[in-house]
Amino acid sequence: MASQTETMHRGSRTAALRGQSAFRRMLDRNAAGYVFLLPWLLGFFGLTLGPALASLYLSFTNYDLLQSPDWVGAANYVRILTDDPKFGAAMRVTFTYVILSVPLKLAFALAVAMAFNRGIKGLTLYRAIFYLPSLLGSSVAIAVLWRQLFASDGLINMALWQAFGFEGPSWISNPDYALYTLVLLSIWQFGSPMIIFLAGLRQIPKDMYEAAEMDGAGKARQFFRITLPLLTPVIFFNSVIQTIEAFKAFTPAFIISEGTGGPINSTLFYTLYLYQEAFGFFRMGYASALAWILVVIISLFTAFSFLGARYWVHYDD
Amino acid sequence: MTDAPHDLLSPPKVRRSPVKSILLHAVLIVCSFGMLYPILWMISGSFRPQEELFGSSSLIPSALDLGGYVRGWSGLQVTFGRFFWNSLVISVLATIGNVVGCSLAAFAFSRLRFAGRNFWFALMLGTLMLPYHVVLIPQYILFLHLGWVNSPLPLIVPKYLATDAFFIFLMVQFFRGIPKELDEAAVMDGCSPFRIYWKIMLPLSMPVLATAAIFSFIWTWDDFFGPLIYLSDINTYTVQLGLRSFVDSTGSSDWTALFAMSNLSLIPVFLFFLFFQRLLIEGIATTGMKR
Repeated sequence: MASQTETMHRGSRTAALRGQSAFRRMLDRNAAGYVFLLPWLLGFFGLTLGPALASLYLSFTNYDLLQSPDWVGAANYVRILTDDPKFGAAMRVTFTYVILSVPLKLAFALAVAMAFNRGIKGLTLYRAIFYLPSLLGSSVAIAVLWRQLFASDGLINMALWQAFGFEGPSWISNPDYALYTLVLLSIWQFGSPMIIFLAGLRQIPKDMYEAAEMDGAGKARQFFRITLPLLTPVIFFNSVIQTIEAFKAFTPAFIISEGTGGPINSTLFYTLYLYQEAFGFFRMGYASALAWILVVIISLFTAFSFLGARYWVHYDD
Repeated sequence: MTDAPHDLLSPPKVRRSPVKSILLHAVLIVCSFGMLYPILWMISGSFRPQEELFGSSSLIPSALDLGGYVRGWSGLQVTFGRFFWNSLVISVLATIGNVVGCSLAAFAFSRLRFAGRNFWFALMLGTLMLPYHVVLIPQYILFLHLGWVNSPLPLIVPKYLATDAFFIFLMVQFFRGIPKELDEAAVMDGCSPFRIYWKIMLPLSMPVLATAAIFSFIWTWDDFFGPLIYLSDINTYTVQLGLRSFVDSTGSSDWTALFAMSNLSLIPVFLFFLFFQRLLIEGIATTGMKR
């Protein structure tokens, strides 16, 4: 009897303890979660959300870092969109670059991935070699190399002279060609989309090809009826990522034109123009407006890609 | 023929007739050589006597001349040794910051349950899409007021605050694959969340931590835009900035020296490529990284 009350007593105490500890544990759990998240939260508010809002505000002002920002309403946007020839040039250059470099790069990436997907000995080595330019490509060193290759006395002209006796122009200082040398540089770096394609090709079940072969479908038919449709999610992914990257390209144009975007604005990439406005002329308000226009362009592109994807991307479900 | 199920990238080998096989490899070798030709050209160019570079497109220099390296190393008022040291310090500290900052956040998102977790996670994913350019100017103003401009701090400190959402995402994906029973058992034994993070999660996540560390290092080493904005005193320059100044000062008068310094600047990235090639390539294949 005594022992029974004692156990009952003990039971209610443990229940009470359990209730208290459940509450404490919930608090602890929240506390632990936020302790781990603290660095990210600081970064998010201090370096991402705060600055993003600040640049939105600055885009409606004139600000030169010395005097406090001067509210001008939508004047920056109006000027950019209606009365800024350099903005027009930057848009032309950037869009030309995106439209030429992305599809060509992806075409090369897919072609090489397909060649590699046929069971070759030494694949690892070939794959590594084809990937290397993509890894090194965004460095200043490779931009320096490109400057030499396409200079008037560069390797390309030397080869042209030796092979055809043709005296080539200075490709990088000719406004008709400068941008295309950068397009070539971008295509040369098809390594990472190639690897992603290769992984995608491996996911296609082999028996699909075997079944197609039994039914007498030729290689071309297999490509258009099996490979391409099943690869559309990967093609879609690669094209979105590569396009966004191409919109943000900066280093090669900066090095090749020594920061000017020249000759005659022919390599004035959007980000280079933004850089010049912000850190060359210290027009921080104007540059912020340019940054937000870039965001709008990239967001519109992404939104349209996803809307359009419904019509051509094949999902396996 | 065994086909390892975990190998994402290598299709099973196919038997071909010897003629076909030789032809295929011949084509591949020629293409590989073509892909690498510009880089090989830069390497061989850096060892040429200065006046020879534009004589021929051959890869073999007439004589081995280290003059380019000597002229390049001290071609500016500060030697490249200084730039290499600066780059190394920034890259190492930024890499540590990325791994620490992002793994803490990833642990919270994938393993801890707390009020508001999904809300913050959605916001974190949102920042993945945000171009750097919208935060660039206010960040610059902030660092200017903190007195950090012209120091490496703006290139290092943000990494400790997990601003590279991509790596958080990468780690969350990996952490979710680690069996939950492990940390549930640890909780039973009275393990604190920090001990679970430190003693269970991190040791089991070495592949993803290594991938994140390698890519962080390479991206920081190669970064040109950040240093260009924040570093204006030549003593604080990174290798990339040093190279750019060297281009501006020599123009196209001394390609040999320019090539020599360019080659040196690629060595760290190349070493990572050599030793961690498989990790790099699998990292790209599984996460869809842009480079």
